[in-house]
Amino acid sequence: MRRFTLIAVPYLWLLALFLVPFLIVLKISLSDYALSIPPYAPTLDFSAGWQGIKDLMSKLDFENYVFLTEDALYWKAYLSSLKIALISTVLTLLVGYPIAYGMARAAPEWRPTLLMLVILPFWTSFLIRVYAWMGILASEGVLYQFLSFLGIVDEPLKILSTNTAVYIGIVYTYLPFMILPIYAALEKMDDSLIEAAEDLGCSRMSAFWLITIPLSKSGIIAGCFLVFIPTIGEFVIPSLLGGSDTLMIGKVLWEEFFSNRDWPVASAVAIILLLILVIPIVLFQRNQQLQREAEG
Amino acid sequence: MNQKVFAPWDDPNQKPLIQFQNVTKKFGTFTAIDDLSLDIYEREFFALLGPSGCGKTTMMRMLAGFETPTSGTIRLSGQDLGQTAPNKRAVNMMFQSYALFPHLSVWENIAFGLKRESTDKDAIAARVEEMLRLTRLGKFAKRKPHQISGGQRQRVALARSLAKSPKLLLLDEPLGALDKKLREETQFELMDIQEKTGTTFVIVTHDQEEAMTVASRVAVMDEGRLVQVATPADIYEAPNSVYVADFIGDVNIIEGNATPNGDRVRIDWAEGQPEIWGTAQKPVASGERISFAIRPEKVTISKEKPEDRRNLLEGEVIDIAYLGNISTFHVKVGNGQIIKAQSANTRRLANRDITWEDRVWLTFTETAGVLLEG
Ligand SMILES: Nc1ncnc2c1ncn2[C@@H]1O[C@H](COP(=O)(O)OP(=O)(O)OP(=O)(O)O)[C@@H](O)[C@H]1O
Ligand SMILES: [Mg+2]
Repeated sequence: MRRFTLIAVPYLWLLALFLVPFLIVLKISLSDYALSIPPYAPTLDFSAGWQGIKDLMSKLDFENYVFLTEDALYWKAYLSSLKIALISTVLTLLVGYPIAYGMARAAPEWRPTLLMLVILPFWTSFLIRVYAWMGILASEGVLYQFLSFLGIVDEPLKILSTNTAVYIGIVYTYLPFMILPIYAALEKMDDSLIEAAEDLGCSRMSAFWLITIPLSKSGIIAGCFLVFIPTIGEFVIPSLLGGSDTLMIGKVLWEEFFSNRDWPVASAVAIILLLILVIPIVLFQRNQQLQREAEG
Repeated sequence: MNQKVFAPWDDPNQKPLIQFQNVTKKFGTFTAIDDLSLDIYEREFFALLGPSGCGKTTMMRMLAGFETPTSGTIRLSGQDLGQTAPNKRAVNMMFQSYALFPHLSVWENIAFGLKRESTDKDAIAARVEEMLRLTRLGKFAKRKPHQISGGQRQRVALARSLAKSPKLLLLDEPLGALDKKLREETQFELMDIQEKTGTTFVIVTHDQEEAMTVASRVAVMDEGRLVQVATPADIYEAPNSVYVADFIGDVNIIEGNATPNGDRVRIDWAEGQPEIWGTAQKPVASGERISFAIRPEKVTISKEKPEDRRNLLEGEVIDIAYLGNISTFHVKVGNGQIIKAQSANTRRLANRDITWEDRVWLTFTETAGVLLEG
């Protein structure tokens, strides 16, 4: 009995906070737009009991999903989100790996401090940090002033409101998610493995490719997923740093909900997004599982 | 044994494989290796023995190229190793932690070094198979290091470091992680492999028994210096200092004043105790303060007073350590010093006649012990 309660708690948690909201959104996505409150029809009539549920089911359809395939905006937004997420993930990896490597190689007494520095930005509001980037990247912002002081540029920057700004924002925001798992993998690595590789005829460089990279693979994969998955649905960064041509599904979702107030279509967009995300999430879980097995 | 005794260090025509020439290694202000000179010859199985922190690993790491000497030179086959990078030396090392690559299979681990210098797949495969056979790992070729036992891992590490046929193989406490039985088996395996391949082995160990078992010569180190370099038998029978005598095996040390008398030396060591007679290996000055070292197994213990013995001490048994095949008796002699005597247990325990608090006699011959300075 006690065991049952222990297992039941997380399941109830999942049920209440994931499955029920998911079903509600799914239901809305199958409904029709209506000028009412809430802005969709039909709604569930609890007083009608079982008959009410039957009535409801008979009125649900896939109209909104069909609509998504008809308007090019949506699949373009999905594709563009995937592309931006992919490029940002690669950029974050390129920036994050050397940092993680440097941290893992640093003298042990420095590591907690370095780790702290990586985590520290999380203690200020995410929104404030993105706004700070607006100030930095603005056409005559901090970066411009700095560069023109150095004499590198002489006309205002055109970074804010472009995809470049979005990439900068994403890399900056998600960098810790990349650094931490890679650092964890590298820190566990035994230095004598590199010495053994050199002893067996490897140069420094080939020892890095043949030993260090494969041994930090699980950290790289975990870091990439941790950046890729939330970036696909990212909304704040593209809407604050991106321009009108920055197309991301998170932004589309927001506009459907709050500008068009078309909850059913917005819900359909969200459901599709979730389905797209399920694939990398499953792959991510599998990576974690494999890693645990390799260690255990 | 009908073969010639293997002793290239006694042959002036032999060229050493490795030469340490006045090598000093400092870490900051700390001197880990202190002006050390040493020759190691081809086909030797050379053991470095010493307490923790005496610089054994540092010597190995200098040979492998992970550390460079602060001063002095190290030569391999007459060539100064100088700044030669580790991957350019005909030296391979078997790491104390084994340092097996966890993401590669046993087969790939062994092939790792071979693949760095050759692209001939068939030759590599043949060599790996040979190594697998030599170390009896054939069945485990496809497994990853975490899927095999500690002893098997140790053999993979050995196979990997042997695969490239190095001129010199360095083994840093290779058997540290194994239990006693497996350890002994592996020691013989190592000797066997060393003989088959003809590779020169330098082995580091904490364990003096292990050094004595496997090595052709043993170097006893202390604080970055070599105290004695000799064959296991010489180290044991003729230690050159109290330090070595004490470090290798069990020993009784009796300090006293020497009086030479022909080829014998009389040692007066305690008021009211009969003097001890020993044999000097080198000239001793009259009145010199010396230590007489004698192994417990060379001391005979008996309840009856033996006749006609020059070295005869009387005492009381205060402790008996029963070790199965032998027993060690701790005997307190007149001035309170404890002297250990060993005897083989040829009779069953119940029939043994010497027991606690017995008055006993200890005897030994005049040539049984060694005289050491200080
Ligand atoms: N990189 C280093 N920096 C500073 N001191 C060092 C370094 N490496 C070794 N030492 C010091 O040099 C001395 C010799 O070390 P070494 O590792 O050679 O000892 P060892 O004889 O192998 O000991 P053990 O039997 O415990 O392995 C030790 O006192 C150690 O603290
Ligand atoms: Mg050591």
